[in-house]
Amino acid sequence: MYFVAEVNEKECSKYNCKQCVLFCPEPNCLNFRASTNSAWVWYDKCKGCEICVYVCSDLLKRHCIEMVMVTPKATAKS
Amino acid sequence: MGLEYVKISPGFEKYMPRDYVDLVKFGPFGKTYDVMELGQYKELVEDHPMCAGCYMAYFIRVFYAALPNPEDTIVLGTAGCARLALSQAAVPFVYGNYGDTNAVASGLKRALSIRFPDKHKDVVVVAGDGGLIDIGFGMTMHSWFRKEKFTTIMVDNEVYGNTGGQESGMSPKGVQLKMAPLGKKFDKINAVELAKIAGCVYVAKLAPTNPKRIARTVRRAILAARHFGPTFIHAYTSCNIEYSIPTRDVLADARNREKKDFKFYEWMTDEVKEFLEEVERKEKEVKR
Ligand SMILES: Cc1ncc(C[n+]2csc(CCOP(=O)(O)OP(=O)(O)O)c2C)c(N)n1
Ligand code: SF4
Ligand code: SF4
Ligand code: SF4
Repeated sequence: MYFVAEVNEKECSKYNCKQCVLFCPEPNCLNFRASTNSAWVWYDKCKGCEICVYVCSDLLKRHCIEMVMVTPKATAKS
Repeated sequence: MGLEYVKISPGFEKYMPRDYVDLVKFGPFGKTYDVMELGQYKELVEDHPMCAGCYMAYFIRVFYAALPNPEDTIVLGTAGCARLALSQAAVPFVYGNYGDTNAVASGLKRALSIRFPDKHKDVVVVAGDGGLIDIGFGMTMHSWFRKEKFTTIMVDNEVYGNTGGQESGMSPKGVQLKMAPLGKKFDKINAVELAKIAGCVYVAKLAPTNPKRIARTVRRAILAARHFGPTFIHAYTSCNIEYSIPTRDVLADARNREKKDFKFYEWMTDEVKEFLEEVERKEKEVKR
């Protein structure tokens, strides 16, 4: 059990953003889906550093990313 | 090395690992993705064991996204944290003995120019402050004195991260580290000025706060090295473990350092300037 980042995609899609995607240290972990205009996390690759939360909440005040306890169901989804 | 080696022979697709198929189909080989498109294509680096929130790992992610021709590039590294990710990328990687990177890169670059006289094969060294400015100091300097045509990137975490926290020549004066409990007694070495004096034709210093600028700097350094001589980038890439930076604050720390001693700095010779202006003007025209 460990924490991973989760994007509230509905909330994120309201913005024309991508900033967290550009600052995550892990390759292809925070990705961007053009069809929904939102960022999404590939849970298996997330190391839980929260840099994305700093970008989205502290810098941009958009509060679209939350740290969640990863469950087998959640990882199976990605 | 080269585009034809990357492609999968017809009929073999179903036997190749998924990651590799993705790389060929959705990766950057033979295409030009802008760094702002990160997270929208299959990147060159795979999962790696660098620490959570490591901004050296982040710099390496952006570095690979910035390569002008990944299929014609060889990356050289050595002992130290960076190789943990460099060795997981879909670009040939040579592991130099600790301290030897710039000697190995010199030979490699010369051999490649003899073997492929009408092609550009880029050689890039990515190594730590210990590897380049302490133990590898002599070989780094001599590759510059000899005007070897490759790029050296120092990922400076201001400590020997991989071996548990010894001070390096790049640690700031006064800093206390696990294995330097009395505090460092000497100044941080001015690597950028050394590089200029030793003969580098393009020199830059940056903190990883702006992916577009990192990419532009890496690209410029590699393109300039093809034609004119050695190029050097000094990148601040914090070690959150040895400097006890909470991972959530890693980018804030980089932004902070940028305001202090890691302000963006770029210097190049007049001929490099002229060359890069011409290249970038042409690129803009193509985009239009
Ligand atoms: C010739 C030699 N001496 C010492 C070592 C042990 N060693 C491995 S990594 C390292 C220090 C790495 O520090 P740095 O180059 O700054 O990279 P970092 O791990 O901080 O990124 C040392 C001393 C070695 N591998 N080879
Ligand atoms: S920083 Fe926030 S709003 Fe911007 S793309 Fe990421 S999750 Fe969406
Ligand atoms: S917590 Fe860290 S590794 Fe996970 S998505 Fe956010 S920035 Fe990337
Ligand atoms: S020890 Fe430091 S530099 Fe090395 S991977 Fe961990 S955070 Fe990065």
